[in-house]
Amino acid sequence: MLTSPPVVAEGLGRRFGRVVALRGVSLTVPAGTCLLLAGPNGAGKTTLLRILATALRPTEGRARVCGWDVVREASRVREVCAYLGSGGAYTALSGRENLHFAADMAGRPRALANRWLERVGLGSVADRPVATYSLGMRRRLALARVGLLEPAVLLADEPFVGLDEEGVGLVRELVDEVRRRGGGVILATHDWDRAQPLGDRVLVLRDGRPQPQEREASAGALW
Amino acid sequence: MVRALERAVALAAKDLRVEWRRREVLLPSASFGLLVALVLGLTQGAQPDRAPAMLWVALALAAVLLVERTTEREGEEGTLEALLLYPGSREDLFWGRWAALVVLLLVLGLALGLAQAVLFGVRLGPGWMRLAAAGLLASCGLAAVGALLSALLLNVRGGHLLMPLLLLPTCLPVLLAGIRLTEAALQGAPFGPWLGVLVVFDALFLLVGPPLFAAVAEG
Repeated sequence: MLTSPPVVAEGLGRRFGRVVALRGVSLTVPAGTCLLLAGPNGAGKTTLLRILATALRPTEGRARVCGWDVVREASRVREVCAYLGSGGAYTALSGRENLHFAADMAGRPRALANRWLERVGLGSVADRPVATYSLGMRRRLALARVGLLEPAVLLADEPFVGLDEEGVGLVRELVDEVRRRGGGVILATHDWDRAQPLGDRVLVLRDGRPQPQEREASAGALW
Repeated sequence: MVRALERAVALAAKDLRVEWRRREVLLPSASFGLLVALVLGLTQGAQPDRAPAMLWVALALAAVLLVERTTEREGEEGTLEALLLYPGSREDLFWGRWAALVVLLLVLGLALGLAQAVLFGVRLGPGWMRLAAAGLLASCGLAAVGALLSALLLNVRGGHLLMPLLLLPTCLPVLLAGIRLTEAALQGAPFGPWLGVLVVFDALFLLVGPPLFAAVAEG
């Protein structure tokens, strides 16, 4: 169980030149909960997740992940946090080689990587180059990569894209595992039907700004 | 320390394995280097005494291509972000990329060196070990600058265009030292002060490279 809330952000913002991608976002994700991030395209959902994952620096405000500051203690944040984005895999390598590489980089045993390959249903194709994988298989590989990191905080950006029902079940399992460990999840998605059962709360973003509480109830309308 | 070494080895092994499977960096770079050597040989004359300078100019230009493509590939496959977000120090990433570049540059240098020796009728003789030592030192320096620039140009639009503009001038000492040391090795003369230049260059970039890489990659 974590001593600090998995995620706390205060007045978080990010500019890209003159474009304001995110402004004034304050949120708390208590231990064992999942926050759904809603909003139309370009609302700032990915920017928010990337800031929390330390892939991007905020231009205003501050955020802490498991008590670590995302700017000053970024390397600590990376030890407890995993980002499931649209990132790909090394297509010249096999699924197993990709996952072994991830295990080596994260200091996890390769046996765990092998177990995750079986778990996401890629065991029989694990030694095939990723170039031959379908979109759904690549997404499952990404799930396995994040899963083997055993994060305290999971930041998932459109995790259901390209997945069949079994794959969606894997996402649900992953989210539940993080919650059971007392961690926190932020899940950004347009797939309201699949996301709703997972979320404890909803934050709606529009034009980079959080929307008033009363609009949260109708978040589905924004997807 | 052990963890850092494991991460660096994992990254270097991954880079080399990807290159072995795709052969999209070394082969084009070596072909380009050979073309440069041929053009220089045809326009300037293929006398053996000109071989060292032409070899190193060809090698430097081919190295630019090699470093640039190795860096670019990570971005193209969308794997860069995941790489940067793994837990652990980003200095390890510098060492991993550096080690892979050293190996690739050594192979490139060997291929171009042998081709030059045939084209220019150069006899290596007993100086080949000293030549190999100079090549190793030069590769270490070039790879250190290349690994550092790969982080600097990560988020710069048109970074691949900036690579030659930054890499070539920065590596001028390596280029000059490489030429002088190759001449000395072929003539059986002592290495002289250029060996010191190469050693100092390598030490400097291997010392400041990792922390600078980590700071720059942090954005």
